[in-house]
Amino acid sequence: MKIKNWIYTAALGVAISFAGIQETEAQVAQDRYFRALGTPHNPKVQVSWNRYHTNLALEEIMKDMAKKHPNLVKLQSIGKSFQGNDIWVLTITDFNVGKENEKPAMWIDGNIHSNEIQGTEFTLYAAWYLSEMYGELEFITELLKDKTFYIAPTINPDAHDYFIKEANNQNSPRSGMIITDNDGDGEFGEDPFDDLNGDGHITFMIRKSPTGRYVKDQMDPRKLIPVAADQKGEYEMLGYEGIDRDGDGMVNEDGIGYYDPNRDWGWNWQPDYVQRGALRYPFSVPENRAVVEFVMDHPNIAGAQSYHNYGGMILRGPGAEEDLGTYNQTDIRIYDAIAKKGEEFMPGYKYLVVYKDLYSVFGGQLDWFYGGRGIFTYSNELMTSYLYFHQNAGRGNQDEQMKVDQYLTFGDAFVNWEEYDHPQYGRIEVGGFKKNFGRLHPGFLMEQDAHRNSAFTILHAYHTPKLSVSEVNEKDLGGGVKEITATIYNERLIPTHSSQDLKYKIERPDYISISGAKVLAGFVVENEDFNKLSEQKVNPEKISVANIPGMGAVKVRWIVTGGNNYSINVDSAKGGKASWKK
Amino acid sequence: MVAGAGMLFSVHSTTCAQSDYPTLSQVTQRLQAISGSGSSAKLSSLTKTEGGKDIWVVKIGKGDLDNKPAIAVVGGAEGFHVLSVELAVQFAERLVKDHSMALDNNTFYVFPNMSPDAYEQYHAALKYERRGNAAKIDHDRDGIVSEDGYEDLNKDGLITMMRVESPMGNYKSHDKDERVMVKADVAKGQKGTYLLYPESRDNDKDGKFGEDLVEGIAFNKSLTYKFPIFTPLAGDFAVSQAESRALLDYLFEQWNIFAFVTFSPANNLSSPLKYNAGDAKKRIITSMLEKDVAINGMVSGMYNESVSQKAFNQTNQGTDGDFFQWVYFHFGRLSFSTPGWWIPEVKGEDGKSESNAEVNFLAYAAQEGINNAFVPWTSVNHPDFPNQKVEVGGIRPFVMYNPPFDKVNEIAQDHTDFILKIAAMSPKLEFHNLQTEKLGNGLTRITADLFNNSALPTHSEMGEKSRWLRKIRVDINRDATDLISGDKIKLINKLGAYEKTTLTWIVKGSGAVDIKAGAAHTGIATLNVKL
Repeated sequence: MKIKNWIYTAALGVAISFAGIQETEAQVAQDRYFRALGTPHNPKVQVSWNRYHTNLALEEIMKDMAKKHPNLVKLQSIGKSFQGNDIWVLTITDFNVGKENEKPAMWIDGNIHSNEIQGTEFTLYAAWYLSEMYGELEFITELLKDKTFYIAPTINPDAHDYFIKEANNQNSPRSGMIITDNDGDGEFGEDPFDDLNGDGHITFMIRKSPTGRYVKDQMDPRKLIPVAADQKGEYEMLGYEGIDRDGDGMVNEDGIGYYDPNRDWGWNWQPDYVQRGALRYPFSVPENRAVVEFVMDHPNIAGAQSYHNYGGMILRGPGAEEDLGTYNQTDIRIYDAIAKKGEEFMPGYKYLVVYKDLYSVFGGQLDWFYGGRGIFTYSNELMTSYLYFHQNAGRGNQDEQMKVDQYLTFGDAFVNWEEYDHPQYGRIEVGGFKKNFGRLHPGFLMEQDAHRNSAFTILHAYHTPKLSVSEVNEKDLGGGVKEITATIYNERLIPTHSSQDLKYKIERPDYISISGAKVLAGFVVENEDFNKLSEQKVNPEKISVANIPGMGAVKVRWIVTGGNNYSINVDSAKGGKASWKK
Repeated sequence: MVAGAGMLFSVHSTTCAQSDYPTLSQVTQRLQAISGSGSSAKLSSLTKTEGGKDIWVVKIGKGDLDNKPAIAVVGGAEGFHVLSVELAVQFAERLVKDHSMALDNNTFYVFPNMSPDAYEQYHAALKYERRGNAAKIDHDRDGIVSEDGYEDLNKDGLITMMRVESPMGNYKSHDKDERVMVKADVAKGQKGTYLLYPESRDNDKDGKFGEDLVEGIAFNKSLTYKFPIFTPLAGDFAVSQAESRALLDYLFEQWNIFAFVTFSPANNLSSPLKYNAGDAKKRIITSMLEKDVAINGMVSGMYNESVSQKAFNQTNQGTDGDFFQWVYFHFGRLSFSTPGWWIPEVKGEDGKSESNAEVNFLAYAAQEGINNAFVPWTSVNHPDFPNQKVEVGGIRPFVMYNPPFDKVNEIAQDHTDFILKIAAMSPKLEFHNLQTEKLGNGLTRITADLFNNSALPTHSEMGEKSRWLRKIRVDINRDATDLISGDKIKLINKLGAYEKTTLTWIVKGSGAVDIKAGAAHTGIATLNVKL
């Protein structure tokens, strides 16, 4: 037996007939593995978390999840991308308990920026972890009874595969695949990168020049270092691999779209002259429109997370200083409580505010989720060089990167300089770091970071509202009339309505209704001790309350006759449902 | 989709004089009539609205029409402004029939009606000034959709106002015309005697009347510039509706439009927008830029020469989320808007006019012999005010924005002339002062001036900032190896009004060289040079 076949049989020998004996998955596992704590130890869906999946592999894994966990995972396409690819969403919840769209939900997406593909793996990991751990861990089982997760591993499938399959650098493309006229010359995408050495990576072009300001490091000739101001250099930098295809004297000036799908969202949207990368109007990127339509159709989404790279950040809005007033203290307290906890279990990740700690963003996704929908939203910038050596060497530190490639990746990260005859520049050299180095995790760092980020999202989802009718008191007012006072408690940190939601009345109020009694009057109790009431004269059986605060309660009161067998129902868009029966 | 049929209707629609603003199907027939086969006008439907109505565009031009500077004419920004649709349609008709010369140098786009769902209310059994399309929207955001729309309490087929006699009222009769209700000025010690509401009920008993209308999103309140998010008729995000998306998607692919004329309540033609240095210098610009204000001033002067009516009470220079401001601030094109007509100033015997617009209107109506302009206040039984005196009445819907139909022809004539004047001054690139100098040994130096023979710049100051206007591109059809000096492709950001730039090349070889320069919205100039 060839070694390759032997490995295949041993690892994937799931319920196959082996020498005439039927082995179950559990038996296979029992004989071979010892449980590593914290990880699905015998998953129904096998996934390797040390490589990146193409759309094809992704679809296979997601379909497998839905097939193997029919009561926990459903897969649906929420729309088509510009090139006609499906935008997939996994719905993960205990479908046997409550309705999926009536439980408080968490939206998770990745890969809005094409080159930021570990977001896809991390979201997929969260889906995998939740579905595999259901029934294994009480916490996860309860969580999936209470909550729904909507998980979209890539909301940019076209350019997800374009980044992987076509020649790109670490930063390209950021946009989807709509080709635009980036240089205003009337032609569309006429001068993209050119993969001169045909290796699938767009690296750098350098040329020997008497006026060059760089030399190759004698200790490590891969390294290009600047000379001192008074020293003569040997090389000049010519930029990323490319030729001037249209003869306008510029190289790489018009590839696929310049636009940024994360400047396309309908809160504080601004046009391109203000916010570089904006396209035509909010949600003019078709992939985003599909997401928005899904979110608008799912008012139960109470928390959201999107994954980007790079930098080791847990970000919240506002994206622009002009929007400072949107995020008020009541909501910031909640943002802070969750994110500061996250910082503790995500070493290398810092909790930051976009406009002040990063750069200014108008029309960003996280601002729309919060500003436009009132949903508590974080955006995590995945990967940080801290994960290499647990040092803060800073982004793109060449010395550290070379050390990584020398001692950890053994030359896998770098394309060595090679000579090339360029039609415009003449004799040049091409080389540099590969597109899958720097911003992306190397394989051996992926699973751990995916787990920590998923844990952060689980914490966030856990803190979406959980409502219960915690107390019902009756008082006889005489003459067959009684007073019923009900307390509705929210056992989690996030309120049913963020203060942003309340400010604009984004989501409908919560309804608390009584049935089985004749209601004479109904009230919201503002202060029970001193009997401060606010009467609802119309339709008093169904009391509207603006909000049920996190870790807090509201009280309502009815004056009724009859009602020996009444019930109380709570109906909140973001807070889910609760009921109580006498 | 191109609608070709309809030549048959042309005879009908031109000979049978219309007595009122057209219905949607009459508009469609007239558009079809001018856009039959062989016509310079092509009619297409961009999309259908939520109410199932077509959003039409008529593209009118000849020859290389995508590379001629174009003007877009937009009607129906507001559904109640039925005049605007008629003006846009008449512009298209007059252009095709009487001004085909204008197509030699320019292309025209006419979007006759951006609010057909709302426009229909003019001809409906229940008439009211409607803005929103047919989408179902919860305007007061209370969780119930359109529970508190208008109600025709006096069953006259019109939605007007209602007043409730009340000692707690904050409205009183106007001194000059007691039919008109005005707010009591508490600062002057005035006390009101009426509560004033639109003709409606308070179905949800929230104390508000007509606050959640049975209509959807207003086109002219839902674009991206200063989008009034979450306000009634605007919606949850900008450009949310099929018609606004279809229009914008179409416009973003028509690179030749240099100016828009929108018929809408906003007016920057009777007088231009003002320049505010502070607002112009912010990151998000909210004042027209200085050089563009000067252009606006020049065009406003032309308008006042073309249009006989004198400005009066013209204070609307843009409202949040409107189309006219979007064109300038977010699309970078020259943007002009006019209501087309407004209520003229009516002077009393003392030679003074009344500043209250309604009082002035009623004086105008009396002067013109319009006798149904006001629905007299009449008592109704109102279930929400069981023991109070409630009267329904007020100015008839539509009449303050739309003149009697017999005045429209002249207005349309004036505005057609005005639009053609703007077209005639569109950016125009020309080559001048061509010189070819033999340098010997097969080398020739070519020098020429590229001149913008127009009072308008090729790019407005705002347009220079926009990605959605192309740069002026100069091409010379010689291999790069034959160009000893000079660019094979050169991009120029802008040429100002009557501005020139000098271009020069040294070319190797003999024969003819073709040089062209321009952009879709400036037109393309060509030059043939013999070496």
